[in-house]
Amino acid sequence: MKITLDVIQVLILILGAPLVPAIIARLKALLQRRRGASLWRPYAELFKLLRKEELVPPTSSAVFRLAPVVMFGATLCVTAFVPVVHVSALFGSRGDFFLLVYLLALGRFFLSLGALDGGSAFGGMGASREALVSSLAEAPFLLGLVAIAILASHADLASMVAWTLQQDFFNISAVHILAFTSLAMVILAETGRMPVDNPTTHLELTMIHEGMALEYSGPSLALIEWASAIKLHAMLALLIALFFPWGIASASAQRGIFVAPLIYCGKIGVLMILLSMIESAVAKLRMYLVPDFLGVASALSALAVIFTMWVKR
Amino acid sequence: MQLAPAEIGFVFLLASLGLLAPLVIMARRTKTARAFAIALIVGSNVVGCLVAAVCFWRESHAVVDLSSFTPFPFALGIDRLSALFLLLICAVAVPVSIFAVSYFDKHHSEQRRSWMWAFYSLFLLSMIVVVTASTGFAFLIGWELMTLLSAGLILMEGDSAERRHNVFIYLLMMHVSAAAVAACFFLFLPYSHSLSFGAIRASGTGLPGGVRATICLSAFVGFGAKAGLIPLHLWLPRAHPIAPSPVSALMSGIMLKMAVYGFVRFMFDFLGGGPWWCGYVVLLAAAVTGLLGILYAIAENDLKRLLAYSSVENIGIIFLGLGTSLVFLAHGAPLGAALALVAALFHTFNHAFFKSLLFLGTGAISNSAHSVNLNELGGLQRRMPLTGAAVLIGCCSIAGLPLFNGFVSEWLTFRSLLAGSTLIDTKAQIILPLMVGTLALIGGLAAACFVKAFGTAFLGRPRSTGAEHAEEAPFGMCVGLVLLGAGCLATGIFPGFLLRPLVTLAQVLIPGAGVPEETLSIARILPWTAAILLGTGTLVALFKRRERVARTWACGLPGLSSRMQYTSTVFSKPIRFIFAQVYRPDRKVEELPADEPYFPVSISYRSVRTTSYERALYRPFVEVFVSLAYRLRRLQTGNIQVYLLYIFLALVSLLTFLRFQR
Amino acid sequence: MGLVGLATEKILSSFSVFLFLTILLLAVARRISTSVLLFGLQSAIIAAEVLATAFQEKLPEVYVVGGLVFVIKVVMIPRAFFILAKRLKTVRDVKASTTPTQSVFIVAVIIYLSYTAVHSYGGAVHVPDDPLAAAVSLILTGAFLMVSRKKALVQMLGLLVLENGIFMAALITTFGMPLVIEIGIFFDILMGLLLMGIFTFRISDTFEHLDVSKLRRLRG
Repeated sequence: MKITLDVIQVLILILGAPLVPAIIARLKALLQRRRGASLWRPYAELFKLLRKEELVPPTSSAVFRLAPVVMFGATLCVTAFVPVVHVSALFGSRGDFFLLVYLLALGRFFLSLGALDGGSAFGGMGASREALVSSLAEAPFLLGLVAIAILASHADLASMVAWTLQQDFFNISAVHILAFTSLAMVILAETGRMPVDNPTTHLELTMIHEGMALEYSGPSLALIEWASAIKLHAMLALLIALFFPWGIASASAQRGIFVAPLIYCGKIGVLMILLSMIESAVAKLRMYLVPDFLGVASALSALAVIFTMWVKR
Repeated sequence: MQLAPAEIGFVFLLASLGLLAPLVIMARRTKTARAFAIALIVGSNVVGCLVAAVCFWRESHAVVDLSSFTPFPFALGIDRLSALFLLLICAVAVPVSIFAVSYFDKHHSEQRRSWMWAFYSLFLLSMIVVVTASTGFAFLIGWELMTLLSAGLILMEGDSAERRHNVFIYLLMMHVSAAAVAACFFLFLPYSHSLSFGAIRASGTGLPGGVRATICLSAFVGFGAKAGLIPLHLWLPRAHPIAPSPVSALMSGIMLKMAVYGFVRFMFDFLGGGPWWCGYVVLLAAAVTGLLGILYAIAENDLKRLLAYSSVENIGIIFLGLGTSLVFLAHGAPLGAALALVAALFHTFNHAFFKSLLFLGTGAISNSAHSVNLNELGGLQRRMPLTGAAVLIGCCSIAGLPLFNGFVSEWLTFRSLLAGSTLIDTKAQIILPLMVGTLALIGGLAAACFVKAFGTAFLGRPRSTGAEHAEEAPFGMCVGLVLLGAGCLATGIFPGFLLRPLVTLAQVLIPGAGVPEETLSIARILPWTAAILLGTGTLVALFKRRERVARTWACGLPGLSSRMQYTSTVFSKPIRFIFAQVYRPDRKVEELPADEPYFPVSISYRSVRTTSYERALYRPFVEVFVSLAYRLRRLQTGNIQVYLLYIFLALVSLLTFLRFQR
Repeated sequence: MGLVGLATEKILSSFSVFLFLTILLLAVARRISTSVLLFGLQSAIIAAEVLATAFQEKLPEVYVVGGLVFVIKVVMIPRAFFILAKRLKTVRDVKASTTPTQSVFIVAVIIYLSYTAVHSYGGAVHVPDDPLAAAVSLILTGAFLMVSRKKALVQMLGLLVLENGIFMAALITTFGMPLVIEIGIFFDILMGLLLMGIFTFRISDTFEHLDVSKLRRLRG
């Protein structure tokens, strides 16, 4: 029973992933009074790319071909950590958030290498910028999670979520607000969303993630695009699970399992609306302001960790 | 005397490294003699691995007491802690030696090669003596020989004023370190009445507080200088890059670990934890070391210097674990202390593997492409795929990515820091979890650093003719690289087989510690993760793809030249820009001709990272010493009668001292 | 209790958290308009707090104070700022002498210090820790904003944040000062704001900018 639920969760995260950026794009279009593309377009695109032939730069080596695979695989592993409809997850009680964050780093590391293997300036530019953003994002990411883990006195995500479930929603502690703010900021940076990176840009000089994927085509590009969609979905699901888990099915409320997916859709819908509003309202930060953005996130998360000392008693 | 098999092996190891191999090499300078000696070195190290493994995995001690052959108390013995480090030395020495065969052949003349091998063998022996010494005397002899022999190996590589200056700084710092280490032993002497480790251990608990604190500080300075903790790291980025690659691998991979061994031996085995502040001091120094180390590494374009600075960073991570363990000990939490100690020791082990792998990889690169400057490399993966694969494994390990060994130890360190929140003490409750942020920043920057290192050296287009015509490294080199790479991968995916004895070791060193559950859970999850990744890989590989080579997108221009790629300098520019305060670059823009600012013919730009803080830190010491030396010069008159007068005065003052002491 | 009672309780128990957030964001804000909005938000939180206290302690005159806070600090002062900024045609940037990262770290340290300071009093003062710490950190942050911002307009804002802190401290420790004094203080603020507004206007008229750091040149 439990294992089926866990597998279903993973499937929701993986198969539902292309919908997330599509819905955000659609919401953005609505906000900007455009019609927007079909919600199923990403699926069609993935299907198309997977069937196409692949173009490879003449300078590239095995690393170029390996990178999308590793990135996709690492992202798949990440989905096994995040509770979606049920408090447990496939790796929920064994792996902890350190492993989760570093699996994301593994994918990023290889994608950066793949970008450098193209031998053009754009790949290098994307990789170099990604190196800056990700190296500074790691500290606030982990500290924000550490703050919650200290309160829950467990480091595995399943127990952290289970602990939050027992709390009163209205009993907001400073730790949660600070950690949520910093994690939300970090996730914007991690998934390459608006103030840090522009997912819709095709101007070479402004892009980070797109710059790294520039030389990829065909199935490799499909893997990269899919993986980044999964990453976005998993990160949003992580935020929901850690900060607004109420409504998720748990051991004590097994019957909730049928309502939980609906509640989850509602919650992620709200997050997507927020995201699309941010993306419509905010301009992309200049490259050298991104460290300040992440520095603020670091300060908030450090403060969250300090606050645990007072909240815990 | 009855010798156990382990002891026979140990004696064989000592004898062949210390006597047989050097003697054979120096006695008959022929190819066959040298081949025999090299085989002896490799073989004895394999035997050493087995001996260490037996002692490490099973509770068995090996003791070799040479006191009866020497006028000094010179005894060697292998307990669990020694066994771990012996395993580390021998396991790394085997692939490094195999690599060194082709490396020395290519780089050194016939004459020099014999000397190199003799020193190499003795250098290994000196480190084995350090970790297996069971008297302070043997330890100090090994310690001193280790420094001198490595300096000798550096000097044999070449000779120039700069090299001599660097070696001078190396020797100077190492003697400060040796003095502090010797002081540690002698501070014990009034209480233990003997320099044997057993006596020292027995006296460890009954020391007065002041002595204990002094020993702690002295050990921290002595071993910290040897390990390369900032600000005592000055010698490390000078000495490591100028040694021949296999020797750099040994120095960075193993020799630095001797300091970790000494520190653990003193702080945990002898003293059983220091005063309460001691852990925090170590933590602070470790955090600074880790951060500055990796920031300097990322700014380097010379691959060897980059690796040397990254050693500084990894030493920071190791000491972060040790400091955490000391904090736990001071607050009476043996379980957390054991976890942190396991993390530190495991990282020590891992760093030995991946750092020597990377240094050997650098050797292979310089052998094939005739440069280790990242801005002159590129595209090597296509030309030397095997070396590239091994170095990629090393880079992933050192960046702390899951499935590679560096991750496991960093993960354990993270978990031990997180466990700090359970301590009663408020300081520890805040400081330890906040250190997670520091370690995460270090980890993130390390990943960036090695994306740069691997990406610019091995990927893209070659940036020089040397790199363009590079060929795969010779067979021997590849064997060494592949062995180390396999080690990194194996311990990264299945860390359990090493973690279990490490936990036992931690329980020996920290009485009352249980088995930290973290060590079990990580060993369980990693193979699954690896399976998922492997599954994805095979799935994608099975998914047949048509592939066509097409030109890289060049904005419609006819083609890209290698000068249009990102260089190593540019890659790290954003990070150097953000942390400009740390680097304090000295920029100089020159326009020619100077009198026509609007029509320059050429503009030159130079940006040099200054070491202003190092200068500011060391200048006062140097000045005091120099002025003292000038003053003391007056004593040296060159007149024989004056020297006789000194002797006379010394005798008289001694006698008066004795007279008044009564 | 009822719904109002529940709301009151929640406001009293968790509003200080939001105050922390506003000062952290004030440290980061790079635009004058954002800073003013944040100040308005902060004042609104304080007004809610005052009203909640009035409800809980059943003090009718505190309702009046709450209303005054809302009218003056949430409505009038931000409007005045916007008008002033428009008239002065000043650029949008606050011109901080510290980077946002540095500022936010400094404010974090301020919050930490005020918490420890309030904690060390422990039971000596019979007030809840969180709001008092929030009040102290508001005062310190206000001072920090005055120190670190170069624009005269933002320095005024810093002063107002500082005043907010003092008001909070008074509210928490003694349920607010007597009504007359409170009204007097509000009047003071308004007058001060008016004066400072005139001054900044004059400054910008004469020197064509509001950068206080350049006033140093006036030195003889």
